[in-house]
Amino acid sequence: MNRLMGSRTLIRTCLRHSRRHLLRTLLLIFGIAMGVAGVVAIDMAKTSVEKSFEMSTTALVSRATHQITGARLEIPQSVFTKLRTRLGIHRSAPVISRHVTVPELDDRIMTLMGVDPFSETHFRHLPLGTDNRDLSAVMTGSTGVFIAQSHAGRFGLDIGSPLTISLGGRNTTVTVAGILDSPDKALLQMLEGLVVTDISAAQEILDMGDHITRIDLILDRKDVAKEIQEPLPEGVFLVETDQQNHAVRGLSRSFENSLTAFSMLALFMGIFLIYNTVSFSVSRRHRLHAILRALGATRSGIFFTVMAEVMVYAVIGSILGVLLGILMGKGAVQAVIATVSEMYFTLTVGQTDIAGITLAKGLVAGILTSMVAGLFPALGAAGTRPVSLMHKSVSEHRFQKMIPGLFAAGLVILTAAALLMRTGPAQAGYDFTGLFMIFFGAALLTPLIIRVLVRTLLAAGERLLGIMLTMALRNITRSLRQTSVLMASLMVVTSVYIGIEVMTGSFRQSIVQWVDDHIGGHVHVSSADERHPALDPDLVARIRQLPGVAAVSAYNIHPVFSRAAGKVHLFSYESNQSVMRWSWTAAPETELASLLESGWIFVSEIFARQHQVEPEAGAAVILETREGPISFQIAGIFRDFFMGGGRVVMSRPTMARYWGHDDITAMQLFLASDTPAKPVMDEIQEMIPPGSLIQVRSGAEIKQSILAVFDNTFIITSALQVLTAMVALTGILNAVMALLLERTREIGILRACGTLPGQVRQLLIHECFFYGLIAGIMAIPLGAVLSWILIHVINQRAFGWTYDMVLTPGVMVQAVVLSSAAALAAGIFPALAAGRTHISEALHME
Amino acid sequence: MDVQMQKINKSFDDSGRRRTIFCSTSARFPSGSVTVIVGKSGVGKSSLLNLISGIDLPDSGQLRVGDHCISDMTDTERTLFRRRHIGFIYQFFNLIPVLTVLENVILIAELDRVSPKTYLPRAQTLLEQVGLWDRRSDFPETLSGGEQQRVAIVRALVNNPDLVLADEPTGNLDQDTGRKIMQMISSLVRDQRKTLIMVTHSPDAAAWADQMFAVADCDLAAMDGPFHEPSHG
Repeated sequence: MNRLMGSRTLIRTCLRHSRRHLLRTLLLIFGIAMGVAGVVAIDMAKTSVEKSFEMSTTALVSRATHQITGARLEIPQSVFTKLRTRLGIHRSAPVISRHVTVPELDDRIMTLMGVDPFSETHFRHLPLGTDNRDLSAVMTGSTGVFIAQSHAGRFGLDIGSPLTISLGGRNTTVTVAGILDSPDKALLQMLEGLVVTDISAAQEILDMGDHITRIDLILDRKDVAKEIQEPLPEGVFLVETDQQNHAVRGLSRSFENSLTAFSMLALFMGIFLIYNTVSFSVSRRHRLHAILRALGATRSGIFFTVMAEVMVYAVIGSILGVLLGILMGKGAVQAVIATVSEMYFTLTVGQTDIAGITLAKGLVAGILTSMVAGLFPALGAAGTRPVSLMHKSVSEHRFQKMIPGLFAAGLVILTAAALLMRTGPAQAGYDFTGLFMIFFGAALLTPLIIRVLVRTLLAAGERLLGIMLTMALRNITRSLRQTSVLMASLMVVTSVYIGIEVMTGSFRQSIVQWVDDHIGGHVHVSSADERHPALDPDLVARIRQLPGVAAVSAYNIHPVFSRAAGKVHLFSYESNQSVMRWSWTAAPETELASLLESGWIFVSEIFARQHQVEPEAGAAVILETREGPISFQIAGIFRDFFMGGGRVVMSRPTMARYWGHDDITAMQLFLASDTPAKPVMDEIQEMIPPGSLIQVRSGAEIKQSILAVFDNTFIITSALQVLTAMVALTGILNAVMALLLERTREIGILRACGTLPGQVRQLLIHECFFYGLIAGIMAIPLGAVLSWILIHVINQRAFGWTYDMVLTPGVMVQAVVLSSAAALAAGIFPALAAGRTHISEALHME
Repeated sequence: MDVQMQKINKSFDDSGRRRTIFCSTSARFPSGSVTVIVGKSGVGKSSLLNLISGIDLPDSGQLRVGDHCISDMTDTERTLFRRRHIGFIYQFFNLIPVLTVLENVILIAELDRVSPKTYLPRAQTLLEQVGLWDRRSDFPETLSGGEQQRVAIVRALVNNPDLVLADEPTGNLDQDTGRKIMQMISSLVRDQRKTLIMVTHSPDAAAWADQMFAVADCDLAAMDGPFHEPSHG
């Protein structure tokens, strides 16, 4: 009991101390909250993508265990008839499924789903409204569709309302024939992404003739699967639904994991913040701890007191962080779902999911991080010697002696991090562990580097610097135990800035280069007709003859089925005038043309990753063709930013033989130097027969739209960068305030001796400027290393693309300016306060 | 430089209660004299020095140092006045830890943008007088208490102030060192014809004084002499 009372008194002592420094305590709590908020927001975004994916696909596949699909992503409807009649597979259902846009529903992307009402009973629950009418009874007209109750309510639609289905520029007007309603909210949410109609109506809307997208099956036995596969025509095959969904879902996993890791970075900055604040707080209470020790407080008593105090902040900060995270998460969910939809797979249901586990993760992460950060200062406090033995600044002396050891430890950790990233498994978890080790290792190097840099500056310019600047610089090395943590935090956040800036800058430059090299034509003519994409050969010939057209690239693009990625795009060039500086990530064979002619293919690096192709010439990949699965030799892997499952380039005979396409679906026109694009585009528009789904766009327009898509992918990364910076700056502000508070007596002396308030402010501002300057200088090499890791390791794994790192002097200068400005900003408030120091009170401070 | 206090009132807030330390207090400290202020702890001895130096302002009354009315000056004027006319010596030396002995001594002159040609020879002379010129490049933490106080004395005198204020200058030193320091202050001040006002608890201090005051009952009471003055007797 006595012991408990004693602990209570100790804790009360600490909490009262915190209350006296309320602003700093609040800053600490705010910093923890921001770190936790980042983790919660990103986890929310991840679980929401998971949930949205699940809801977008569950409504489509429901209980199907297998699917029959085709190499060209469609199959003849006759396959279904044969399956039913010859094999007697009754638990089967034909399905048409395609993403369309509906202008009346705010241009939402929906899945137009064509189903056979008689076959559906085994597969999907498609409720038809409160009167529970039978689907088949309602779908009497050829263009009747069903939409979800929520959409009908929100957009004022009812049975009989007209609706436009837009696909590749083709608009078809249909009628709302029924409302999908259900008391089951989860089911209703799943149905939100669907426009349901029957097979024949879907075939008419999509102009699919007698083709369907797939056949869903429920198979109980594996041997049945074999029985079904054998009689299927070539190019039509059976796949397991789960496996296929898993492959598609896997496309965005690395991206999502990289976001988690970025959010952990913000929390990692939180460690510095908490460590900083707690160690400053402990340092200020050094004398108090020494007195308590002399009075009989045990080491463990002091240790637990400090930890209990950290725990109080951690719990408050984490709870606030969770709440803040939920607010921020809503924005993050939208951004991440948009990126995933643009880059990987279309999510027709955008579901914000706040899972209990997400909130728990945030709380645990906040509390654990705080505990780890508080551990060392708490141990330091526990090691305080009783007041009778206390020597002022003993801990600083001890720290100064440890500096070479810390430097050596930093080097060891950096080496270990390099080894981990080089030899460890290619997983985001390992990469980010390596990255954190690099930050930690670099932070351990800072005390020695700061000491050397300050000494060099002093030696170089002591006479020029004047007494105030000299004081400012010496103040840095005098309290290295504290200033080095502050500057290490600033260094890390500046290096993160450099890293992300270089990553996005290099990426943008590579994209521009890629667009110029691959789709650099001045005018682009392409088919928007998904079903019949071939351009009329006569039109192609006439376009070639247009005056001012210097050269033409003509090729075809066709999406085909892939077991590993769901869908990939095949390209074959009839003529190629693009610069096409292929950036090979694996060296191709020398005779490219002859290799292509003999049936070899080139694959993009995203394709190679999705299909687990080892980056070495001579590797092969199996593709589903109309002749069944065929193994293709890979001549080379090229750098590419074409998203989805990646793309494959092959010769025209190969494309024609295995997929039956020998058409032209797109053209790029290279105009003579004196020919403007607009008149040529107008002339082409005039040549296009009315009703044809052909797009004519300028190269500039295409470039801009591509850059806009890729810029969007970095919005969330940039938001996390801002969050990280906020946590770090909170820490820096807190640390600067604490550091300057410790100078109060010294400031009092200076003021008493005749130093003007402006000169005191100047001194502190100079000191802060040097914090920022030195941290900025130290951040340059760390930022360069981080950029390299982000580009060549993390981003490559997240998106599957590689690009060259472009580190410009401008970024480095910007980083140093930013770091100095951040430190100056953090110093302004304390410096202003220092200028108003009450001299007599300051002089009596211990 | 005479120091004159005329009907000074000073009180301050002490944990919510108003505490008066001077009530209509008047006193004069003649130019070139050594004045010792004694009194119990907490009666306001240090506050008196703060008022004279312009660190604190009286609630009412006039405080003149030479021809300057401290109580009418702005904060900047008082700071500059302090810098140019007053030298301070503290019990805890109050040297700036990141500056060397010489830098501590010349700090104020540098802040005042005085030419090094002016202050360096004087700094050297004074440091040589106190026997610390050889240690001019050392940092304060490497010096003993007595040495630190000698540096503080030089710092207080280097800008040739008219008035030197000393707050318990020997309070943190052993008796022997304290006596030597007192002797040093006294001789330097008298040699250079400065006015010295010194707060002390030291019973030996009277030996160095021209006049003594006791702070008690919110007032300054002159104490009767004669005072022994070993340095110029």
